Amino acid sequence: MINAINRRRFLGTTAVAGAVTLATVGGAYAQSGELSVWKFGGTPNEVEQWAGRNDAFSEANPDVELNYSYFNGQIRRQKILAGFQTRRLADVIVAFGQDIPEFVGFGMVQPLDDIAGDRIDGWKERIVPEVLESGMEDGKLYGLPTYVDMASFLAVNLDALEEAGFDRPPATWDELRKYAKAMTKPGRPGIAFPATTAPVDINIFEGIAYANGGRIFDDETGKVTLNDPGIVDALQLYVDLIADGSTPAATSLTETFFRDTAQLFGQGRSAMWIGLSWLNTPWGVNEDVRWTGVPFPRPDEATGSFPPVNAIMDPTAILMVSARSDNPEAAIEYLDFWSQNEQLEIWGGQPEIARIPAGVAAWDNAELEAVWPNWVKAYNEGTLFEGAAPMPRFIGVSAIESALGTAIQEAVLGQKTPQEALDDATKAAQTQIDLIRG
Amino acid sequence: MQNDRLLAYFMILPVVIAVLAFVIGPTYNVATLSLTKIVMGQERGFGTFSNFTSLTADPVFWLVMKNTAIWILGGTCLCVLVGLGVGTFLAVDSKLTGTLRALILLPWVLPDVVTAMAWKWMLHGQVGIIGQTLESTGMTEGTISFLGDPNLVMWALVVVLIWRKMPLVALILCAAIRSVPDDQIEAARMDGASPLERFRFVIIPNIAFSLTAVTVISMIWITAEFALPWIMTGGGPANASQIMSTYIYQQSFEFFNWGVASAMSVINLVMLASIVALYLYINRRSWASEGSE
Repeated sequence: MINAINRRRFLGTTAVAGAVTLATVGGAYAQSGELSVWKFGGTPNEVEQWAGRNDAFSEANPDVELNYSYFNGQIRRQKILAGFQTRRLADVIVAFGQDIPEFVGFGMVQPLDDIAGDRIDGWKERIVPEVLESGMEDGKLYGLPTYVDMASFLAVNLDALEEAGFDRPPATWDELRKYAKAMTKPGRPGIAFPATTAPVDINIFEGIAYANGGRIFDDETGKVTLNDPGIVDALQLYVDLIADGSTPAATSLTETFFRDTAQLFGQGRSAMWIGLSWLNTPWGVNEDVRWTGVPFPRPDEATGSFPPVNAIMDPTAILMVSARSDNPEAAIEYLDFWSQNEQLEIWGGQPEIARIPAGVAAWDNAELEAVWPNWVKAYNEGTLFEGAAPMPRFIGVSAIESALGTAIQEAVLGQKTPQEALDDATKAAQTQIDLIRG
Repeated sequence: MQNDRLLAYFMILPVVIAVLAFVIGPTYNVATLSLTKIVMGQERGFGTFSNFTSLTADPVFWLVMKNTAIWILGGTCLCVLVGLGVGTFLAVDSKLTGTLRALILLPWVLPDVVTAMAWKWMLHGQVGIIGQTLESTGMTEGTISFLGDPNLVMWALVVVLIWRKMPLVALILCAAIRSVPDDQIEAARMDGASPLERFRFVIIPNIAFSLTAVTVISMIWITAEFALPWIMTGGGPANASQIMSTYIYQQSFEFFNWGVASAMSVINLVMLASIVALYLYINRRSWASEGSE
């Protein structure tokens, strides 16, 4: 009975509301030849490079009037959603791979297989297959990735490491606890990790938990699995590091997001910090701080219910064509432009060193090898992406990650044990998921 | 006469249309959305109270209500009280107060985002100047994480809120105090009233209308404030600073749960309207009489 009357029909019966509705959803019409692009997030270097290459696109395509806008990555969801609802969405959206399932669910983006034609063959040649795969959803390609970020990595201050009597970075969780304690001295904790509710901070934790066989959601059963032992034990690691006195105060961790943590490390005020694959490269470190970056230590024995992964990865500048695009031809031209080696080499060590490049040719760059020799070696051996999985991506991912973020903070602050915090988070997230998935 | 009336209606027509389009229309739309089960842009039934029942079953919602009470009531009371004190000081004629009257608007004119980012940095336990100063002067043993401590975060936000909103309140009240007739104050003085008594029994009744208006406006401003708390804490740590505006945002744009978000907006509106109505009722004599004059 509740569904007997439709809300849209109900609104239609009231003339005033009808008029208001019409006024607020009035269409926007793009002119022929115009191409709007919204880019979200990126390192300072990358943002500058992107704008510069846009000029090259305009020179090569004088008939296309490019209208490019850059926005902070954290506001992308509301900006894109609002644009979609008001029919003012850009033709091309440069957002995160984690967004794809929800954007597809909303019908916001178009499958590129349907509109790109034979251009896709060229993309497959120029882009690393494992990275191109990150643009797929339900067997269709929805986005063209330009690079990926991986989780989780550890930055280590080499002077602090040697001072504590170690000759290599920690390789296991047990070693990490010992190293962090030994490297702690007054005014300089052994390790710092970000624990705000910022999505990147949560991704960093997910990298650790997934390597321990944890998952936040089981797509097959539709169940939230935040209280899986793989995740509980990963959170226990955070709690143990705090209890050992190896970190800044717990209340400081919950207000310190990834960039602040990088700053502490860069200033020599923390001996290690946990981040994504870019670690300190976008922001730099003081000249007197010698450091190295390594994959985050592995659990001594994975305790999760799922297969442990080596890393999780996500393309955080992936080009998608909006379903509202009035100019899909120009949009595809723009994607094709960004699939060319000249553009993809931005992330090949010169000038940007913070990302794992998507372009096959970028891996031949000497600059990349100079900065990340281990990456290049692993890529050439075909093992770089071995055992890597996508970062969590499904409809409702934000609701679960939000609950996880709260649970991390509750455990870090000592309000609840990891098990209690994650049990509560599982319950709360499951309610949201059930609602979202109907 | 008839033509004059038609002309009058014609002249106010643009305002009526604007109010319908930008106030009544969206409010009505939100009200109907609150009775609609709508998730991820898909309507799943109209005429249901399920959004409201979901809210009451959500443990975070009650924390949000408590935090919102601190935010709105604490923020408004302190904003008006501090504003009254500062306004009284600024009402005194001197070179210093003349300069301060211009400078005090500085926090008001700064964009919300700039204010939030600057305060976030200053209050940070590790890199913030406030914590470091407190520690270096020996006032605290270690640094304090104002925004990372669940017990401090709401009050830290209220302090920033007052810093931001108080200047305009102070200036409005300063102008009201300066317009109090001198002869009334002088008569009270001659009758032997102390400064406190002159303030309580002469100045306050004279500025009652402005005081009421500025309190109501502050309450509305503070209820609608989103950027400051969201940028500074994102509702954390562990939802300790989650208030109505941030939780509505989270439900809308992170969970795509527009029905529940609209239900919260309706509750917010009813709550605010009730508080304002109660406040106006309690103060009806003082402000209504002055307003009619």
